[in-house]
Amino acid sequence: MKTAFLLCFTFFCQWIYAQNGGIKGKVTGKDGEPLIGALVTLEHTSFRAVTDSEGRFSFQNVPPGEYIVVLESVGYGTANRHIKLKEGETEKVNAELEPRTTELQEVSVYGKLSQEEDAGARNREKRSDNIVNVVSARAMERSPDINAANVLQRVSGVTVLRNGGGDEAYADVRGMQPQYNNTLIDGIKIASPDDKSRTISMSLVPSDLLGSIEVHKTLLPEMEGDAIGGTVNLVMKDAPQKETFKVLGSLGYSTIVFNQPFDYFSRKDIQQKSPTERYGDSYVAQPGDFSRTNLEFHPITPPPTGTATIAYGNRYMHNKLGLLVVESFQNQYYGNYNNFAQVGPAYNANGAPQITDFANRWYSTQQLNEGITAHLDYNINPRNKITLNNMALYSFLGQARTEVDTAIVGGNGGRTVPGTGPVTTDWTSATQRTYMENLKLSGKHVLSQHFMLDWTGVYSLAFARAPDMADLQVNDLIDSVHSANGTYGYNGTYGFQKTPNYFDAISRVWQHNRDQDFDVMANLSYKTSLPGRGILELKGGGLYRAKVRYNLQNSYTLKPDTDAMGIKQVFIDVQSARWTVFDPKGSYDYDVNNYRAYEDIAAGYGEFKFSFPWLDVLGGVRVENTQQGFTINNFHVGSINEVHKTYTDPLPSLDLKFKLNPKTNLRASYYKSIARPAYYDLVPTQVLNFAAGTATEGNDTLKHTVADNYDLRFEYYPREEEALQAGVFYKHLINTIEQQSSDGVNYRISNVPEAHVYGAELSYTKYFGKFGLTGNYTYLNSRTVTSKQYYHLNPPYQQPDSLVPRPLQGMTDHTVNLSAMYRNPKRGTFVQLAFQYLGSSLSNVYNIVGWDYYQRPTANLALSAEQQLRNRHLTLFTKWNNLTNSSVRSQIKGHSDMDLSKEVTGLSFSFGLRYEH
Amino acid sequence: MTKGKFYPLLLGVAVALGACSKNNEKTSVGTGNTPPPNAIAPGNVSGVVKGVFVAGASYTITGNLQVNKGDTLSAQPGAQITVKNNSLINVDGVLSLIGSKDSTIEINSDTKLPGSWGGLICDSATSVTIKWTHVDNTGGPDPTGSPTETVEMTTPGTLDIEDSWFTNGQDNGFNLKGGCKITILRNTILCSGSTDGEAIDVKNGVTGTIAYNVIYSQAGTAIKLESSSTTPIPQTQITAYNNTILCNGWRRGQAEPGRAISVDVGAMALFYNNIIEDNYQGILVTDQADTTNTKYGNNLFYASADTFLDTTGAASGLTPVTINIRSEFYPPDGIAKPQPTDIISTMVGQFDPMFVSFDGKLSTPNGAATSNNYHLQPGSPAIGKGNTTYNADIGAYTSDGKGNQH
Repeated sequence: MKTAFLLCFTFFCQWIYAQNGGIKGKVTGKDGEPLIGALVTLEHTSFRAVTDSEGRFSFQNVPPGEYIVVLESVGYGTANRHIKLKEGETEKVNAELEPRTTELQEVSVYGKLSQEEDAGARNREKRSDNIVNVVSARAMERSPDINAANVLQRVSGVTVLRNGGGDEAYADVRGMQPQYNNTLIDGIKIASPDDKSRTISMSLVPSDLLGSIEVHKTLLPEMEGDAIGGTVNLVMKDAPQKETFKVLGSLGYSTIVFNQPFDYFSRKDIQQKSPTERYGDSYVAQPGDFSRTNLEFHPITPPPTGTATIAYGNRYMHNKLGLLVVESFQNQYYGNYNNFAQVGPAYNANGAPQITDFANRWYSTQQLNEGITAHLDYNINPRNKITLNNMALYSFLGQARTEVDTAIVGGNGGRTVPGTGPVTTDWTSATQRTYMENLKLSGKHVLSQHFMLDWTGVYSLAFARAPDMADLQVNDLIDSVHSANGTYGYNGTYGFQKTPNYFDAISRVWQHNRDQDFDVMANLSYKTSLPGRGILELKGGGLYRAKVRYNLQNSYTLKPDTDAMGIKQVFIDVQSARWTVFDPKGSYDYDVNNYRAYEDIAAGYGEFKFSFPWLDVLGGVRVENTQQGFTINNFHVGSINEVHKTYTDPLPSLDLKFKLNPKTNLRASYYKSIARPAYYDLVPTQVLNFAAGTATEGNDTLKHTVADNYDLRFEYYPREEEALQAGVFYKHLINTIEQQSSDGVNYRISNVPEAHVYGAELSYTKYFGKFGLTGNYTYLNSRTVTSKQYYHLNPPYQQPDSLVPRPLQGMTDHTVNLSAMYRNPKRGTFVQLAFQYLGSSLSNVYNIVGWDYYQRPTANLALSAEQQLRNRHLTLFTKWNNLTNSSVRSQIKGHSDMDLSKEVTGLSFSFGLRYEH
Repeated sequence: MTKGKFYPLLLGVAVALGACSKNNEKTSVGTGNTPPPNAIAPGNVSGVVKGVFVAGASYTITGNLQVNKGDTLSAQPGAQITVKNNSLINVDGVLSLIGSKDSTIEINSDTKLPGSWGGLICDSATSVTIKWTHVDNTGGPDPTGSPTETVEMTTPGTLDIEDSWFTNGQDNGFNLKGGCKITILRNTILCSGSTDGEAIDVKNGVTGTIAYNVIYSQAGTAIKLESSSTTPIPQTQITAYNNTILCNGWRRGQAEPGRAISVDVGAMALFYNNIIEDNYQGILVTDQADTTNTKYGNNLFYASADTFLDTTGAASGLTPVTINIRSEFYPPDGIAKPQPTDIISTMVGQFDPMFVSFDGKLSTPNGAATSNNYHLQPGSPAIGKGNTTYNADIGAYTSDGKGNQH
């Protein structure tokens, strides 16, 4: 580790060189506030600078001579200063810019107040036509977070839903689960490597690639309409105004790897292709075709988690051409312990809940993420700009899972006394490579003073390969040993005895999929002034997206050889296990997970905006036509082999923004939006999720969800970087898409006819000198109904199924995020302590009245700190997560004595160095 | 002689023959020679199907069969059905395979190897009737790679299986759920379940009768009864009487011992007059069962050896485990107790049910050939000791002739 740091240091030193004087100064607004992100240029030279968080800029190594300094900022006028620079001297230029209240068409070629800084983020929230929350790159860099998922969980109204192993994470916006939100990268919906849905795990996106994250909570007609909770837009970093070079690296640990064994398995023998894919469809697989070493788990001390990012940006050709390349690498080792209990009614206790099955799971995960973004923009002239963006994300996941499942009731007799029962143990090794690439070409053209055209073409590709996910299952029985006198000592004293492990079966699954999107979109807008300092903007446009995807799966079951008496094999280790291939041709020819899917979306909209100094009115209608469906590759007689759906939704919206004063907005908004069923939600077949140990059955009759959304928000922006936002909202959903369980293990996707969601949000950022406080609070509530049973068992009596109210799944009632910050720009110090409280949420819907699983409230602390070193180019930083070592638990209401699930991820920390120039 | 002279003679003979044939009238009805209007043409069959597999004809099922809701697939006595390509028969409508004692229906795979076709998957069927039919070698892999079950029904229809044979399946023999009403009488179920699977697995609100069956060498439990652990109503309620249950539960190993009868999770059962011999465990009633309403008695327990030596782990260096068979008649894990009306052997030779022939092998591999004869010899202690509500005798073969006909 020491050597690594030393190497980094040597590397940094090469970039430090002597600095001379030049031109420096400060740009302020009319009340003396510093303007951040203002553009300063020396006319007829390549010198350009953007002001920092204090409104300051500086040029070094400027040759002596006469210059015109141009200072400009969006929303403000332009100032010119004429200076004479003598050799070796430094000239000071300060300017106060006048606010500009009306603007016509403008291409944001130069001088955009960058959203990558906090002040720009607040400014974006304030000036936006819709309700949006923005996190700047600077805030992410300083936060304890390293990927988009971590960042999002601190945004007002957002919680992050993680899968059991902790390797996938999806954003819930306003408590609405991922299927109700859309995720965009640079405003574009991208292809997904998920085998069944269109979601993208936010943990795959390193935050170092991001310029900002926008969470849009209301939709404009120009935005895609499939967001009921909201739209998460990951904005990639933009080309800088001047040459920028940045390198950072960090090392750390997820400490759970010290508290439980970190299991590692060899990847060297993993066959990338299944026997069928290697040898052809008629091949009869032999026992020797299946490797053994990937099922041998060895505990290791994993290497530290490491991250590294390099970014370079510059402008060339007299600033016409801008370039930014960011490369980010993360290699993480982490663990997870979780357990899950199923409950059932105890027959001889008149149906009181009792635990029927209890599973303990230990996961050891290596996750490697590598992301590259390249951005090129070319300003043909001030009225025409073309941009090319490419983003590539690669991820490798290697996961060793151990699951020990004890049947407490049923199974093969269940538990007699505490400590006993039939036990099933699974060892699963999984590797997965996912790749996503998004190539986007876009242009902006000011056609005249009134007309502007912008267009975008996108090719988006995602694929995943999960070769040979291997699961070895054995079982044993722990029984009580009774007294020797032969009495049936059911309740007497006892000891324990355990049978050998018996070899149940091995399953091997090969899976790969590819998802491709082709998008074209264009918008034309017309702007004109109105009397009373007003502006009318009319905008129209459309989008067409064609998506094709396939998924292929081939699985094999290996069954134990038996002895001469036919008895099941005792399992000692995987090397000595003997098996036969039960389905030697694999599932290739009949697997229901072999399918092709498509989704074609054609959308058009018309939008108007009246803008007056005190009021903006924006409204319009978007119409989205969806054609979606799938075809199973193999014909299944009597089953549903294909589903095609077509639907068209007119989606009106209206946004009112009362600008009570220059610092205060009051917004009211209505929009209609939809949520489409995921590709595989329509397939009426039960599909096993090995990771979660659950099975989900799709539903071909599923309808898409339509929602009416109403919002009110008050916003107050007292100073740059400061804000107070308070809002309430209400949503009415028709045909929600929910997973419902009858037993906590088997799920069916179905429509619930109606749901009401309402909530309140408050967010606040305030600085007191060097101290700052930022926080948000979200209250969410919802009401829908489920058909449930109520039992009286003695004598047996069943109340007819009744519709019982409940909240939507995954919706956290109270969420509090509170961060205390200390910043001292002079000394280059920044410290942030982030607290999070997550209230209760419904985690599983159960079929019996009152038995829904609720996640218990959790509280969590994270810490981050950075210190600039002497030359100001070098920053030392540290990030600490889950300081409180909190775990997530769930239970049935009224039965706090029964812990039904628990998930432990442990504390993690890292230290790093950042060089910026 | 002229032609003319013969006419009166011929007439006379004809009259005489006519009178004679009137006295010995024989009627023959068109059995099989005239196919029913909905007959399925002999030969290859696959895909969506309805109609009748006719008597004496041979059929080859080359791909999965589907009987849609509202349709009926039936078979006449003597129909021969060969299944290829691991195909299965999925029934959402009505299945009616009705053979006769003299002319049984045969369904088997072309390879005749255990686990070589997909079984009768009647999950959503409204009615299933199987009589005098041989169903052999089911249990091929399903789309998830798991073995299919021999007969499966999971909706509240009616299932009636009588006088049939089921051999060499790979998993559960009858997997019955979802509140169906069952009548399972006089069947012979042999050598099924590779290393797992019950012979008759009854769950989730199924009600009915299981009687006069022979269940031999099943990997798991012969008759397993449970209600749903999450949806306890409707309750599983079964009467199981006069079954002969032998040598079950060994192949699954010590971690999951199979039983002759197990009553678990909310199930209610009445079980009497069963012969329970040489199973890993005899009768298990767990404390989760409907213990108030579950009643039993008049069962005969016998072990043809004192112990069973499990040497499975020997190859891996484990000490062989000795299982005392008699102490597992009512295994200590359960709460069922010996009843005064039970006949319980305490040593080899005492209360031997005296089968006509029995080779004494406790555990044999899935699919092994067997020629045991479970009819009782005269003087068997099972004769005349039954609970007369059901039968005066114990076991599947009774002296009143109402028992198993095989």
